[in-house]
Formats: sequence, C-alpha cells, structure tokens
Amino acid sequence: MTAVEAPVQEAVADDWAAPSLSDAEYRWRARRYRFRTVRRAAGFLSPYLLIWSVFLAIPAVWGVFLSFNQGGLIKGDERVFVGFDNWTRAVGDSELRTAVKNTSIYVVIAIAVVFTLAIFLASLLNHYKKGSNFFKVALYFPLLAPPILGALMWFFMVNFDFGILNLLKRSVFGGDGVAFLGDNPHALLTIVAVEVWRGLGFWVLFYLAGLQSVPEELQAAARIDGAGKWRRFRRITVPTLRPLLLFALVIAVIFNFQLFDSVKVLTDGGPRLGTATVVWFIHKRLFAFQDTGLAYAASIGLLIVVLILTGLSFWALGKRRQREA
Amino acid sequence: MAEVILRQLSKHFGSVEAVEDVTLRIPDGEFLVLLGPSGCGKSTILRLIAGLEDATAGEILIDDELINFKDPTKRNVAMVFQNYALYPHMTVYKNVAFPLETARMPKEEIAEAVQRAAEMLEIEALLKRLPEQLSGGQRQRVALARAIVRQPLVFLMDEPLSNLDAQLRLQTRLELMGLHERLGITTIYVTHDQVEAMTMGQRIAVMKDGRIQQMGDPTEVYDVPANTFVATFLGAPPMNLIGGALHRDNGTTAFRCEGYELAVEPAVHGISPESLDGAIGDAQLGVRPEHLTLASPDAEGLPGVVRFLEPVGSDLFVSVDVAGHAVQVRMPPDTQVSTGASVRLEFDPARSHLFDADSQNLRG
Amino acid sequence: MTTDVPETDVTVTAAPEESSDAVAMAERLAEAGRARRASDRTRKIIAYVILTLFVVIAIGPAFYLISPAFRDSVSLFTYPPEWIPSEPTLENYRFLFSSTSYVRWAVNTLIFAGSTTLLTLATNTMAGYAFARLRFPGRNVLFFVILATLMVPVAAVLAPTYLTVNTIGDWPIIGNWIDIDTYLGLILPSAVSPLGVFMMRQFIETLPDGLYEAARLDGASEWRIFTKIVLPLIKPALVVLGIFVFMLTWASYLWPLVAATDNEFRVLTVGIASLKGQFVTDWGILAAASLLTIVPVTIVFLFFQKWFVQASMAGALKQ
Repeated sequence: MTAVEAPVQEAVADDWAAPSLSDAEYRWRARRYRFRTVRRAAGFLSPYLLIWSVFLAIPAVWGVFLSFNQGGLIKGDERVFVGFDNWTRAVGDSELRTAVKNTSIYVVIAIAVVFTLAIFLASLLNHYKKGSNFFKVALYFPLLAPPILGALMWFFMVNFDFGILNLLKRSVFGGDGVAFLGDNPHALLTIVAVEVWRGLGFWVLFYLAGLQSVPEELQAAARIDGAGKWRRFRRITVPTLRPLLLFALVIAVIFNFQLFDSVKVLTDGGPRLGTATVVWFIHKRLFAFQDTGLAYAASIGLLIVVLILTGLSFWALGKRRQREA
Repeated sequence: MAEVILRQLSKHFGSVEAVEDVTLRIPDGEFLVLLGPSGCGKSTILRLIAGLEDATAGEILIDDELINFKDPTKRNVAMVFQNYALYPHMTVYKNVAFPLETARMPKEEIAEAVQRAAEMLEIEALLKRLPEQLSGGQRQRVALARAIVRQPLVFLMDEPLSNLDAQLRLQTRLELMGLHERLGITTIYVTHDQVEAMTMGQRIAVMKDGRIQQMGDPTEVYDVPANTFVATFLGAPPMNLIGGALHRDNGTTAFRCEGYELAVEPAVHGISPESLDGAIGDAQLGVRPEHLTLASPDAEGLPGVVRFLEPVGSDLFVSVDVAGHAVQVRMPPDTQVSTGASVRLEFDPARSHLFDADSQNLRG
Repeated sequence: MTTDVPETDVTVTAAPEESSDAVAMAERLAEAGRARRASDRTRKIIAYVILTLFVVIAIGPAFYLISPAFRDSVSLFTYPPEWIPSEPTLENYRFLFSSTSYVRWAVNTLIFAGSTTLLTLATNTMAGYAFARLRFPGRNVLFFVILATLMVPVAAVLAPTYLTVNTIGDWPIIGNWIDIDTYLGLILPSAVSPLGVFMMRQFIETLPDGLYEAARLDGASEWRIFTKIVLPLIKPALVVLGIFVFMLTWASYLWPLVAATDNEFRVLTVGIASLKGQFVTDWGILAAASLLTIVPVTIVFLFFQKWFVQASMAGALKQ
C-alpha cells in the first residue's frame, strides 16, 4: 500500500491527478497573483506616502542640497550655489556659536531640573496615593496651553512692575525688582523656569508610570528584608527606572533642543543674544536677516543631531524591551 | 456543492515543509476528515484551499476550476475557525448577515436567509446579542450559521469542537453530522481527535509531517493501518507494537522476538509472498488491545507479566510487560487477574499486523 | 499612613533576637514605634505641602491672568498692587472682538487643527493597516525609513518645506489650493508625522488574525474589512491619536508663523503672540485673549482628562 491513494470505492480516470499548468505558466500566474497585495498596499499607503514624501521626505533631502546654497527663499532672490562655504562659515559664526552654547546650557539645566523634580514628585505620588489623581491632573494642566500661551502667562508673572515674583521680592527683600527678561543670565534662566513649569507634569506622569511598573511584591519583599527607604530607592527604584531614564533623556534632549516658541515670544533671542537658540537662529536667518545659507546649514546640522538621537532612543527602547522580555 | 481536487500540493515556510506533495480528491458532498497531530500540516491544507496561504507548488481545483490564483474573497468557501472568529462589535444577526451584505444581497433576502440559518442552528433567540454575551457553544453555532448562510461550495472546519467541553462536543458532533446530511455540502474537517475522525468522517486522511500517510474510510484505516504511525495514532489505547525480526528457515517464515516466535503464513496474514520476501530482517508485530486475550502461562502466545490494571467500567485495560514492552490488553470488566501474574497473550494471527523495517504494513 | 504599618510590625517581630531582656526591648520598641509614627505623620504633611506647592505653581499663572483681563491696563501699575480691580470692566474683551481678528484666528485654528487631525487619522490609520496586515515586498525597509523621520524637527526642514509649498503655489490650478497663506499649505506639512502610523500599526496588529481571515472568506474586500471590521475595533486608539494630534497642532507655532502670515489665515498662537507688541504691550488685551483661549480647553480637559493623559503618554511611551 502506498502512502497516498485514490479512493478505492470509485473508479476514476487517473488523469485527475495530473497537473494542468506548465511550470513556467504556474510561476508566472503565481507572481501575478502575489502582486495583487502590492496593489492593495499601494492603495492604503499612497495617501500617507504622498503627504509624507512631498512635505517631509523630499524637503529633508532637498534641505541637504540647500545647505550648499545661498538665498532663494523669497521670490526675486536668486539661489546661488556656494559649495561648502555655508558649512565653513557656520563653524565660525559667532551668533550661531552663541545659539548652540545657549541651547546646550538650557538643555542641560532644564533637563536636570525637570527630571529631578519629576522623579521626586513621582516618588511622592507613588507613595502617598490619597488624592494622587487630583495632583496628577493639576500638574498636567500647563501642558494644555500651547507653549506660546504658557510663556505669555509667565510674561505676567515676571513683569518688572506688577509681576508676582517681583512684588514678592520687593516686599520680602525690599529694593528694586529683578529684570527677569531684560538681563543676562536671568533671561535664559527664566526661559528654563517656564519650560520646566510646562514639562514637569508630563515627566511626573512618565516616571510615575515607570515607578508603578515596579512590582508591589518586590517593594514588599524589600520592606520585609528591612531595607530602608533610601536603600529601597537605590536598589529597586533606580534600577527599574534606569533603562527608562536613558530613553527619557534622549527624547528630552530632542524636544528641548528645539526650544523656540517661548524664546520667540518672551525675548526674541535677547538681551544681546542671551537667549538666542538654534531654532531661533534658523528662523531669524531665514525670515529676517536673509543670510539664509547659514540657516540652511544649521538646519541640516540640527537634522543630523536629531537623527542620531532618534537612533539612540530606539536603541534605548530596544534595550528596555529586552529587559522586560 | 463541489468536488475538490488537490494535485501535488506543497507549502513551505522557509525550510519547513508544512505540506508536501499532497494529492487527493474529495467527491461532491463528501465529509472528509484530515487527522493528525498538531503541526502535521492539516490546518495548512485548509488554509491553502481557503486562500489564506499561497501554495508553494501544486494545484487546487474546485469543480474542475483551478483556484490557486483566485482571491479568497471569490473562492466561495466557508470556514469555521477554532476560536470562531466572530466579529466582536457586531450582533449575532450582523455577524451572520455580514457575508450576505458583502455580496450586496437585498435587505429582505438577507433577513430571510439569516432567519433560515438561525432556525437551523436554533439561535433565533440570540440574534440581538453580541458575541461576548454568548457561551462557547452558542458562539460555535453562530459561526456555523455564518458559514452556511451563503451556501458555500465547500465547508472548511478547523478543529471547531476543540474549545467546547466534552459533553457539548459530543452533542455538537452529532449536530454537525446532521447538518452535513441535510445540506450535502462538501466538507473538509480538520482535527487531531481520532474519535471525531472515526465517528464523523466518511473518509479519513491521516497526516504526519506534511504528508498524507493513509486515506480511506474509517474502518479501513483502523483495520489495515498503512504504517506504524497510523496504527498507533488511531485507537485508544493504540495498537501494541513489538519489535523483532522476520526470519526465513527452510522455506518457512517466522516473526521472532524475545521469548516468542510466530509462524507467518502469507495467506493468513494477508501478505503477498513477494512482499514477505522483501521484508526479511527487522520488523514489528502489531496487535490491537482488543484482539489480545489473557491466557494461562502454559498456553501459546506472547509471554509477559501483568503490571497494571485499569478498570474503566466498560472494560478492563491490563498493562502487560512483554520483554520490556508495555502491551495493553482490553478485557471484559469482570476478568480475574492480579498484578505480578505471569501470563500469555493470545491472538488471532489474521488480526495481527507485520510492519517492515520502514514501518510499512506488509498487509494489503 | 496605612501603608507604613507593616514596617513597624516588621521591626517588632525582628527585634527579640537582638536582646535578652524581652520586656525592656518591647517597651523601647513601642517607644520607637510611637516616635516613628509621629515622624511618619510629619513626613506625610511635608509631602502634601510640597505637592500642593507644585500644584499652586502649575495652575497659578493661569489665575494670575484673571485680574488683568478685567481691568484697565494702567491700573496694573499701581503700587501697592490692587489684586481685585476696583472697577472691573469688559473693555478688554470688547476691544478683542471689535478691533482684533481674534474670532478669525479662533476659526482658523479650528479649521487648521481639525483638518490636520482628520487628515492624520485617515492617512495614518490606512498606512498603519497596510503595515500591520498586508504583505508586500519592501515592507520592513519602507517602514523603517518612515520611522526614521519620527523626530525630524519642524525647524530642520523649515526652509525646504517653505520652498516646496511656495513652489507648488506657482503651479497652475493646484497652486490656488496649496501655497503659502492657504489652508492646505498650512495643513499638509502639519500632517506628516509618522507617529500615528506607528501607533496604528501596533494597535491593529493586536487584533486577532482570525477576524481578517473570516472577513476575507466572507467575501469582504480589503477596504470593507478596513472600514467595517478594523475601524470599529480601534476606536479607542483613534480617540487617543485624535486628541494627541489636535493638541499638538493647535499649539504649534513655528510653521503657522511662516506659512500663514496673512491675517486671513493666521491662527491663535501666532495671533495672540502678535498682540504682545515689540516694545509696548497692552497687558489687558493680552491677558483677556490668553484667558479666553485657555478656558475652553481646560473645560474640555476636565471632562476627558483620562484620554488626555493617555494621549500625552502615547507620544512618548507607545513607541
């Protein structure tokens, strides 16, 4: 008895088992059949791909080309190919240097402050659960307003004459008010404060989510082992947050490196470039100063930095996933 | 209603041969069961027929039409999934009506068809419910109703009973058979449960490693298993296999194992002399538990020692150690036997099987 | 307080090993327990004081707008400060509605953010479906390339995007619709982020395969499966993505600043920022406009806070 057999009970012509298509025709028809999924995928992808390529992908590539050109942004202004001139000038440009320096200072201080406060508040909320929902919602509030409006609220708070900070300062310490936005380094620090205020709620929720992923049993076990609060924090909380921290750090750098809105509305880069940032520089050169070449190059510099950081964030996330698995 | 033909059908996933060179013909109206352990490729065959997977090679025909390169939406086959795959956001009515709405049938006709299907499966009272409000058995019925409502050419069922409890499974089995009798739709039923296969299938195709091992009606497959795999896969407990060798001395052939010798008569064993000639060497003797009887130690038969007794009410299963092999014997429940007793196992040579070194049955 | 009780218990049970004089030890422990409970209470009070302080800081600035919004700007500068205006007035609002284009900006913002959200939801869900469900050559490469642009800053492509929109604006017919100072010119470059594609792909992948296969065998086309099976099942994800995109879009500033310079197309963020003059600011009007803009969002937020929080996390964690 062979392994495969035609049913015994009926006499059937043998040729029913013979293939009807030649190999070549079979392969051709199989390929054509498989291609139908490509057609369908194209249908579903094309709306997004069209918008994405015309308004993001192609501009990004075009931007690289632009960085070797000067001008051409406004009608009537001819674009000129200048080779590496923009790039060499960008390295030496004092305004751009100031902008990069300010942005870096801002990023370091803002992230250090906001992360410290956020982890601290998240630990508090994780420990004192009563009413934590109210605190979460209240802390989240600044994120509702567009950055522009958040900055404008602080414009009132730090006003020289009637801002509450100066009123407090004058009534407590006496003397004159502080020119929060009119002096250096106050202006940059004020910007830091505004952005910390705005971002704090997000990071509190972020770290709270991370803290709550620490299994309760682990905490309880540590408590029974007699581990003190600080020890528990260092031995359990910190290791749990560490992979999260790297990812958070990278995306925080990406976001904060693009500081623009509050600078534009509060100080417009001043006083004396004290709050000039990279994106402010790019915008100003493109739409006011008209040394567009430098802005083209700075844009691509920003793009490269962000792409590298994006890669890093994926890597950090992958590591976190691995750990969880 | 239609005839289904598979020609040298293969499906490879990378280097894994899920289905390999399967050729079979399912006449119009037949209830065919694909039986095999998990991973044997039986579900893949269903998915190939449905068009959910593309064949690597080979042809699939429904009513003489090649459907390999026809989109699953146009093949007009219906499938009942293991987990039923009901649309969770639609009511039972909407679920059953979905294929008809897809076909743009007029509303009144849809209502009629759904009503008919619902009556047939006794789910009229559930039409307004959502799937999450149904029990497993009810979901099963809705899935069946959705499958029959548009009168498909072929019914594909992928282990539809495996998520039901034992009692419901028995009941649904009978209902499925009744449904098939009433509708007469060609049905391909996949299962790993040999009882389902034996009771439901007009024919059974036993599969292993992507290949069909044997095909035939249930009694044929049970009585004359093509190889040791089929022999042990069907039947509970499975056929006993005792390793040994076929010897030829002075023109007579005998199967020998430790402490036992069985003379092999081609006529009695149903083996052609030629195939017996070619099988001299290692071999296995196969006897089903119900064909063995316990006899006293001085009788003829396989010598062994009783190890365990398993009374199951209707029968008494006796586990006998035969030269290191655990051999199962089915005896009447009132049999008097105790563990540790030396016994002989008698059997009718005509009901025994001999498998050659390649595990193929010499009978046939 | 309740959470700390086990700690005290544990100390009590662990202690007897250390001392032979059990009674004295127990007394000392009880003493320590009381002290500890007292210090726990202090700690708790301090914690809630700190949390409250941060809440005041978080929502205080918005309240600080109320008084200036309802008074004459000049009266702001009196010292000592007059917290509650002696002559409350709606003059600032009258001016805002009659002499600025506040209403126009608000309408534009709704058009801008609303269309961007709908467009993003539509395109991203379709693309997410393709990446999640359809097999086609080059799928993974294409997905990776798209994903790589996830974080591309607006500023980094500001010039070429501006040039692109400007160039399309010069083309016949289509240039009437897509140009600098058109709605589409504002909307389309704001609807490019692949975050939604990614989110939707993840979400659609979690739906059981059986549903698609059943629908396919039921004769449903890909589009029918998408609209009748997938869309109803991913509603929660659509809401989350929708809120996220809307919030991000209406708050955006840089692209609207350069793409909608004409007052006819200006949005709220740009409009309100323009109320803050370069040298002289009418504080009353600025406060009135800011307050008026925040209040509706806050009300909506208070009703749907769970969704909002989920949406903001979606941006960071759902990756």
